[in-house]
This record gives sequence, structure tokens and C-alpha cells, in this order.
Amino acid sequence: MTGTLAAEGISFAYPTRGFRNKQPAETLRHVSLRISPGTSTALVGSSGSGKSTLVRILLAMAKPSTGTVSLGARDVAPGPVRTLRWYRRAVQYIPQNPAGSLDPRMTVSQLLMEPLRQLRVEGNHRDLAAQALERVELPARAMHRRPGELSGGQNQRVAIARALAVKPTYLLADEPVSGLDLPLRDAVLELLDGLVHEGLGLLLVTHDLTTAARMCGTTAVLSGGSTVEQAPTGQLLESPASPAAVALVQASRGLQLPAPLQAVAL
Amino acid sequence: MIPTGTALLKVTASRIVALTGLVVLVGMMPWLSGRGAEYTILRAKYSDREPTPEALAAIRAELGLEQGPLAMFVSWVQGVFAGDLGISWINSTPVGPGIGAALGVSVTLMGFAIVAAAIIVLLICVPAVRDGLRQRRGQASGALPAALTSLPEFLLSAMLLVVGGVWLQWFPPFGWKGPEHAVLPALALGIPAGGLMGLLLSDAIRAAYGEKWVATWRLAGAGRAQLALAVLRRALPAVLPQLGLVLIGLTGGAVAVEKVYAIPGLGRALLGAASAQDIPTLQAGMLALMGLALLVGTLTTAARYLLIGPAVRLGTLPLAEPPRSAVHRQLAVPAVSAAALLLIIGAGLLRDPYASAHQRLAAPTWSLPFGADASGRDLLARVGHGAVGTLGTALVVVLVCLAVGIAVGLFPLAATGPLEVANAAPPILAGLVVAAITGPSAQGAALAVAAVSWAPLAAHTAALAQEARAQPYIQILPVLGVGKAGIMLRYILPAVARPLLRHAMLRLPGVALALAALGFLGLGPQQPSPEWGLILAEGIGYVERAPWAVLAPASALVLASVLAVSLAGTGSGSGAARPGRLGNPAAARAEK
Repeated sequence: MTGTLAAEGISFAYPTRGFRNKQPAETLRHVSLRISPGTSTALVGSSGSGKSTLVRILLAMAKPSTGTVSLGARDVAPGPVRTLRWYRRAVQYIPQNPAGSLDPRMTVSQLLMEPLRQLRVEGNHRDLAAQALERVELPARAMHRRPGELSGGQNQRVAIARALAVKPTYLLADEPVSGLDLPLRDAVLELLDGLVHEGLGLLLVTHDLTTAARMCGTTAVLSGGSTVEQAPTGQLLESPASPAAVALVQASRGLQLPAPLQAVAL
Repeated sequence: MIPTGTALLKVTASRIVALTGLVVLVGMMPWLSGRGAEYTILRAKYSDREPTPEALAAIRAELGLEQGPLAMFVSWVQGVFAGDLGISWINSTPVGPGIGAALGVSVTLMGFAIVAAAIIVLLICVPAVRDGLRQRRGQASGALPAALTSLPEFLLSAMLLVVGGVWLQWFPPFGWKGPEHAVLPALALGIPAGGLMGLLLSDAIRAAYGEKWVATWRLAGAGRAQLALAVLRRALPAVLPQLGLVLIGLTGGAVAVEKVYAIPGLGRALLGAASAQDIPTLQAGMLALMGLALLVGTLTTAARYLLIGPAVRLGTLPLAEPPRSAVHRQLAVPAVSAAALLLIIGAGLLRDPYASAHQRLAAPTWSLPFGADASGRDLLARVGHGAVGTLGTALVVVLVCLAVGIAVGLFPLAATGPLEVANAAPPILAGLVVAAITGPSAQGAALAVAAVSWAPLAAHTAALAQEARAQPYIQILPVLGVGKAGIMLRYILPAVARPLLRHAMLRLPGVALALAALGFLGLGPQQPSPEWGLILAEGIGYVERAPWAVLAPASALVLASVLAVSLAGTGSGSGAARPGRLGNPAAARAEK
């Protein structure tokens, strides 16, 4: 399934808690976003800006109060598993803390085969799982290990392999490198970069503009529930227009290392 | 979990459904008892008539069983609203006045029991308050005192009767004529109730002293009395829901106590009505008890609301600094009691429990270690064989409860009402209802105990499942295409199964005691089966001439209680009482 993954005019408010609190706070207001295969887009914003909520809506795990999510010509809405299989085969996800998203009772092979089986992917599941494991550069003997027997970085790769196993067109990655040390971080980002060159459409959710600058052609800035700026990443870094983008750019500059040290670190 | 929005609606609806269901059950009892009741009534009222089809039809017509279930239920409800509780099936007199008088006696008895319980709570909590004021951490309650205060009422009243009424002769053993008659029954009811409340409250007080605000108050120069009062106010709300359950539990305990001490209260009236299958009397009594339970529940909820206020949610209350993380397990007590129990069972199984081979009420000797009962049967053999019957039934009950608890616990909101009702209903009352409908039997007792024992397991399941659902590896499953049923059966169930199985096994001795209580009251297995409660009931008539006839089954039951309480203390058994902090996610995750 190819075509553009698009969110149009999305608004979202969490249901009110209790009876007293009558004013629902809107988490998202008329947000639109388009991603194409073979491109990568960064979704940046400070924490609480609504990034994770937007991802949940894009995954058809939450229903927006207004607006639609569509892939190609088909609209997508939360519903029973069987009506969404086609969408889940096309759009996969790497959650925050990917290693924690692995059931500790299952072996890597069981973990990789689960989406293949549940989503009724055609072909030999064992071979597809092996290919996915190879793609993330894990040795074949890792197949029979459980998450508890692998390192954090290896588990991260298993989670990515599980998302790749169904050969999706799009990958949504929610802060996939936030908990990793620098070398591991680079390795994972390189892997994702390679996938984009192979034709994957990537949405990289991050609070860190440096990562966005390195990985993504386009960057969308989310602030207070609205898209305040969407531009080619280079242009955004050079001349940010909105206050939120200015703040993010300044914050990332402050963190940047002096040039000589940077060379050592990378 | 604090219900919000639609969840609150679901919970409320579930409560209303549960309460309505209970009323319908009580209203339907005459129809449910059906055929069994006809025979019983025929035998009770017209012992000269043969049970011919004509005679039985006449009884049916007389009792109004011909109208069908719905009409009977409607006419019963109409009667209740008109103040007419029905006509006794046995002596054809109105039920209302007798039940009213019995209720008065029972409420008086419960008043005495509450005074006794309050004294015991004070005795247990004063050291906790003092330790806290002296800034000593003090020891949490040990297993042995906990076990001694949690003997079931039927056993405790039998023991108090022997000691205080027969050996010491300080108090009259039977009857209900003056305040001196109330002392032993009040103690029998008050010791378990006060013991449980006291231990819970003293633990809550010790935990409250560990909270950070106490240190702040001290630095600010709060006085001792001021501090003690504040800590008490902090500790009380946590134990109030339990207080409601304990007070409702008193109604079940009162049945046994009133039987042992021959007190003309509601419990004894119900027991008589159940064994005679006098359904209208039982209906009126159950209605009175439900009203009492509703009143107590409302009062404790109101008290809790007044103490912590409407705005404060559980999540905003301060947390105690966790005490030493090393789990302090007292394994000696359960190990010793289990070993003693196994020894009795092993020795008893090799002997014949039915043959009247000995002298009546023979005293214990080396060849007959526990003596003989009134029919000259070997008591060691009867206690040993009884263990197999009682514990075996208990095992079946526990497994059924585990299955029901898991099924119900996975849908916690919709199950709130039935769960609360089952959790509050004492097994003895359930036993009364079942015995009245089907006649007393071992299966009936097992059914009754199972009907109320699934609740803690369901609550534990709900808490564990809630915890499992929050795990990232469960949350991602919809994206991988795993449907709701698959998530439940293939992911959550395996994650919760092990801790639940352990919890269920810890409940085994407690369930065995509940079965024994029903046996003791004559609501369980009948003669001559060697069931612990039944052996105790048989022996109690001869307590003056042959105390060993009581001592043998009582010591086995005490061992089982000690085992039950000490196990509950070390494992997850106590977990169900503490919502939100159940189980151990790390341990659940580590299990493969």
C-alpha cells in the first residue's frame, strides 16, 4: 500500500475526569501533517506539546475529536483489529523505551513472528523474521534468546526489527534514541537513515533539534497543541519564525559542543 | 482506582444490579427450595401422613408454590412494603414479630461485642501510639498474636464456654437473662473483630508515624497529644472500609455464637429456620440482616468521607517511607503448625473412623491418643479422616474460586457490585441460604463458601491485570495486530496466573475453616461423616465429662487457623486489602 500518510485538521481533547472539571483541555488544535515514502519528517516540540497524542492518533489508537487520518485514498479510524490489519501492515511503530515494549516471557523469534501472524502477512514468516533480524545487524543466534538475556541496545534493535518485519511503508518512531548512550544512538539513527534511503517514510518524534537536523529533511514544530511551523529543517535552523521554534533552536545551540570536541564525540 | 465519568456510572449500575439480584434471590427462595421443601414441611407439620403425590400437592397449594416464581416474588415484595413479612411454613404464625424480637436481642449482643472489640483495639494500639511518640520504629504485629485473635467465632465460643463457663464457672454457660450472660458471647464475637481491627489500625498508625509530615510537625513543635491525634486521624480512613466489613461479619459470627450459648437472637432464629426449611422466616431474617449491613456500610462510608473530605483523592495522600525492604518472613510458625497438622492427618488416616470399637468417651491413652467420642469411635481417626474431607473440599472450592475470580477480575468495573456483596457476605449467611434451598449437605456447604470466597481473588486479579495493562509491552500489542481477546488470554492471563495461584493456595486453610463452621452449625455434611466442624459439634455436648472430645477437633482447627493467618501474612494474601499496591510488577516480570 503506497500513497501519502496524512493527518488533516486534527483536534483532540482528553475526556474530562469527574464531574467538577467541566472544561476539557484541548491537547491538539487543527494539526495537519503529510508524510511520503522515502522521506523523513521530524516532529519536534517541548514535552506536553501533544507529540505523543498525535502519534497515537496516527496509529489509530485514539480517535480525534475532529479531523481525519488517511493513507492514500482510505480513511483510518480506531476499530476492531480485523478492519485495521491493512493499515498496521503499512504503518508500524517504535515506542518510547522500545526495549520495554518486548514481552519478557517471549523469545526474539516469537516476538518477531507475532505481528507477521496477527497481521496475516503473506510469505514464510520464519524467513521474514530472519531478514528483519539481519537488517538490524543482530546475529541469527539471538533468535532464541529472551529480552532478559540481551543488552539494552540489542533489545532496541529487536523492537525495530519487529516493526520492520511486516515490511511497512511508514515507520513512526517516538523518541527512539532518548535513553541510549551516544555510540548506540548513532548506530540506531544510522539504521533509520538507511531505511529511509530504501524507501521508508519516517516520522521521527523528538524534543531534540540536533537529531532532527541530522536525520530529517522536513521539520514540524508543535507547540501548545498546534503546528506553529513546518519547514525544511535547514531553513528552520537558520531562521526560525515562531517563538517556539526560536526557543528550541536556542536550546539546541546551547547544548552543542565546541567544534573540536564535537569531532571527537561523533 | 477512583472511578471517573462513565466508569462511575458503570460501578453504580453494577452496585444496583448486585443489590437487586440479592433481593430477587431472597424473594425467590420459596420457589427455589421447591420439591425439597415440600417433603420437609410434610414431615414437620403432618408427621402421620405419607408423602403421596396428593399430600405433596396439598402442601404445595397451602404454601402458595403453585403460583409460579414471578407471582410469588411479586406478592412477597408487596407484602414487605405493606409491613407483612409472611406466615411461617412450620407453625403458621406471622413471621414479623418473632424476627423483630430476635433482631433486638442480636443488636444488643452486637453492642456488647463492639464494646469488647473496642477494648481489644485499645490494648493493641496503645503500644503503637507510644512507640511512635518515642520515635521508635517498633515491631509490626507478629504472626502468632495475629493467629490467636483470628480464631473463627464458632471455635472461640466453644473454647470460652469450656474455660469460662465450665471449668472456672465465672459466667453462666447458657441463656440470655442478664448482663452476666452477655460476657462470654461478647468476648467470642469481640476478640476476632477487635483483634483484626486492632492489628490493622496499629499497622496503619506505625506507617503514619513514618510519613514525612510527622517529622515536620515535630520540628514545628507540635505537642505529643496533638501529634498522636493527627496520626490517628491520618490512620483511621485507611481502616474504615475494613471496619464496615468486620461489623457486617459480626452478623455471620453471631449465628455460631448464639447457637453455642443458646441466645434467642436473629442468628439462632435463622439457623432454626434454615434447618427446618421455614423459608418465610429465613426471608424476613435475611431482609433484616441486609438492612443492618446496608446501614453499617453507609455509616462507615459517611465517616470516611467526613474524615478525609470530599476533595481528597487517594492519590494525593502522602506515602510512608517504605520500611526496610527486606521481607521479614516468619516461617517458623506456619512450618510448625503445618507439620503438626500433617502428623495428625498421617496418623489418623491409618485408623478406622467409623467403627465404635472403644468405650464411650474413653480417655486418651497411648493406644488411643485423642480418646474416643460419644459413640466410642477413635477421635484421632475421625480428625485425620476429617482433614481429608474438609481440606479436600476446600481445595475444590479454592480452585473454583480461582477460576471465577480470574474470569470476573478481568472485567473489574462491571463486577464491582457483585464483588462488594460477595466480599461483605459472611459464608455462614450464604450457608444458611443454600441449606434452606437445597437442604444441608456437603455440596451445599461447598457451594455456599465458594459463592463468597471468589471475591478477594477477583479483586487481586483486577489489580494485577490493571498493572499488567500499564506495561509498555502490553500497550503496543494493538499496533502489532493483537485483538482484545488475544491480549487478555495470551498476554495478561499468563502474566497474572502465577501470583494468583499462590494467593489461592494461601486461602486454603481459611476456606477449610469456613467449611468447618458450616459443618459445626449443621449446615454441611451430616452424620456420620467425620467433618471437623461436625466432630466439634458432637463433642461439645459432653464437654464437662470428656473435654478431649472437644479438644481433639479444636486443636486441629486451631492449627489450621494459625496456618491460615501466618500464611496470609507472608504472602500476597493480605494484598487484596490494599488496592493499588498489589503484587510486585518486578517479580511478575521476572517469572518466565
